[in-house]
Amino acid sequence: MACKTSRKLLRLMGRGATNLPGKIANRICPDLLRHLAKDVHVIAVTGTNGKTTTSRMIEQILKDNGYDYFCNKSGANLLNGVTAEFADNATIGGKPKHAWALVECDEAAFKKVGEYSDPEYVVVTNVFRDQLDRYGEVSATLDNIKIGIGHSKRAVVCLNADCSLTASIAEEIDNKILFYGVNTPIYKERVHEASDAPYCIHCKHEYVYDYITYGHLGKYRCEHCGYHRPDPDVFVTKVLVTDESHSEIEIDMGDGAVTKAAIHLPGGYNIYNGISAMCLAKALGLRTEQAVDCLSNFEVGFGRMEAFQLGQATTRMILIKNPAGCNQVLNFLSNLSEQSVFVILLNDNFADGRDISWIWDVDFETLTRIEDKLDAVYVSGIRAYDMATRLKYSGIDKDKLCVIEDYGKLLDTISAQDKPVYIMPTYTAMMDLRALVSKRYGYKNFWE
Amino acid sequence: MSEFKLNICHIYPDLLNLYGDTGNILCMKKRLEWRGIDCEVTGMSVGDTLHAKDHDLFFIGGGQDFEQKVLLEDAEKNKRSEIKNAIEDEKVFLAICGGYQILGQYYKDYEGRQLDFMQCIDIYTIAKGDDRMIGNVLFTCDDLGGETIVGFENHAGRTYLGDEVRPIGKVLSGYGNNGEDGTEGAIYKNVYCSYSHGPMLPKNPDFCDLLLEKALERKYGKIVLEKLHDDYEREAHRVMEQRLQTK
Repeated sequence: MACKTSRKLLRLMGRGATNLPGKIANRICPDLLRHLAKDVHVIAVTGTNGKTTTSRMIEQILKDNGYDYFCNKSGANLLNGVTAEFADNATIGGKPKHAWALVECDEAAFKKVGEYSDPEYVVVTNVFRDQLDRYGEVSATLDNIKIGIGHSKRAVVCLNADCSLTASIAEEIDNKILFYGVNTPIYKERVHEASDAPYCIHCKHEYVYDYITYGHLGKYRCEHCGYHRPDPDVFVTKVLVTDESHSEIEIDMGDGAVTKAAIHLPGGYNIYNGISAMCLAKALGLRTEQAVDCLSNFEVGFGRMEAFQLGQATTRMILIKNPAGCNQVLNFLSNLSEQSVFVILLNDNFADGRDISWIWDVDFETLTRIEDKLDAVYVSGIRAYDMATRLKYSGIDKDKLCVIEDYGKLLDTISAQDKPVYIMPTYTAMMDLRALVSKRYGYKNFWE
Repeated sequence: MSEFKLNICHIYPDLLNLYGDTGNILCMKKRLEWRGIDCEVTGMSVGDTLHAKDHDLFFIGGGQDFEQKVLLEDAEKNKRSEIKNAIEDEKVFLAICGGYQILGQYYKDYEGRQLDFMQCIDIYTIAKGDDRMIGNVLFTCDDLGGETIVGFENHAGRTYLGDEVRPIGKVLSGYGNNGEDGTEGAIYKNVYCSYSHGPMLPKNPDFCDLLLEKALERKYGKIVLEKLHDDYEREAHRVMEQRLQTK
């Protein structure tokens, strides 16, 4: 009750405070989620990158196929936020209002959320370095996910075959596993990035790759102990097109028949998001056409390349949060065909990760290769000068760099641009900027 | 071709590359280039045999525990004695976090198990309790006349210094070496060690220049580097220093 009342109140107040009500409720009843999720079929999506987009793609599948579901929409993916969402979708007596729940869950929080919500389906997107100030090390992240799944013996688990870390989960759980993957390289030229997992997770010898799609993802094998990429059950057979707005791919859902699909989001990482959603569809027992058609119906969500107009400028907002994700954004941006303006906002609040050193693991040097397409880079956020320093050392023309700390002035500058503007904020910077955009331009609140 | 050149050795660049530490290499390289001094960076990974005479300045970054185990065996076989020689020969080193620990005597884990490290400097590390020491850190640097250094620390091990080693300075905010004695970092001859990520050098340009000057001095005799226009660097430093001082 406390949970529900609190959440309703906060929503009425018009603020995106998606975690506070759950926090209050969880203090009163620590495993409240267990009770609320008892009679709900839960689909959980976790992993480092791509959780939100994958969840939205799965939502499209649920919607198009007539499932009665609810989901946590607005990046409220910790235990408190998830609990609040379940409370909000239950009657006052605590009975669920919907048969299904689609839960996007932070990989550290999954330890508890997995235990309490007892999911029937779990999708793990990938494991990269992310916010190590919070999670310690990558191996700790992996352990959290394993513990979370460990409580759900009946769950069907969809794992990324191309991620040596994620795929290794299969060896430690007894659940039914479906692997998904991309059976072909994606990019002709990739950014320079350090692999987050160069050495075999079992015997610590260096992996050999037939190909890399991005980061440490690809067709790996350890020639020492024999650990290798498992053959995926659902996979991309061919990447036909991948450009600034979309990708066209061919998918095999495991029946040997190849089906064409479109993903209306740019970047190789969205191909992975798409194929992981297709894997979940197979786990649900959907037929190929029931699943693949949903992908092409899919539209973009919260902070994931959504396009909107600010004054005279056409802008796209792309959330950045860790080196792997940010490198993928740069892979995409370095293929732009017209002159553009970049805006980067770096915050170091808890939700962003307090350690901002990851920006030095991002290949911003790539920007020097597309300098003719780069009209200007504006930098803002709590750690604006750290970002500006990083860009200065990348070697891009310093005259194109400009720090604007005040968000009001930043919006003035953005809305006066006659070129496309790509805004790349960290999480809380995005929230702050969106609040200001809503106020100034009267756009809808983000969770609607 | 410049009359001056520094050869930087990046030890285990593919293993010890956590938390942006590689940014320190970029920082040194750029600050030399901007002054017209040549710089060559060589990576030394597993299987590569290190020769101390080939390099003027050595960098070792932080890594994850998993990765540290991979390299200890290789270090013993292919690098340790040369690193030790280079240190005694007063070559300049910067070692961060895991790289700092690994130059020391040993690491004792939570259960009291001891893992012998490279034993190049007289420091040792013990993991106590469950809590990692994580957060922004501010400390003084004795070799810069007490000027402050800002960074971000993230470590479980607590490091203690032996007699021949002195700290970089005193912790003003954060944990430092062990959260107990108020010291941060270690200096032995020209070896500088710190728990400070961030990465350490870009926001602390004077400290970067100190290392570069020491390396150049050892090779060419006394050289004073020209000042650079460190606008963003100093502002980034100031913002964090101010935040930590008013905490």
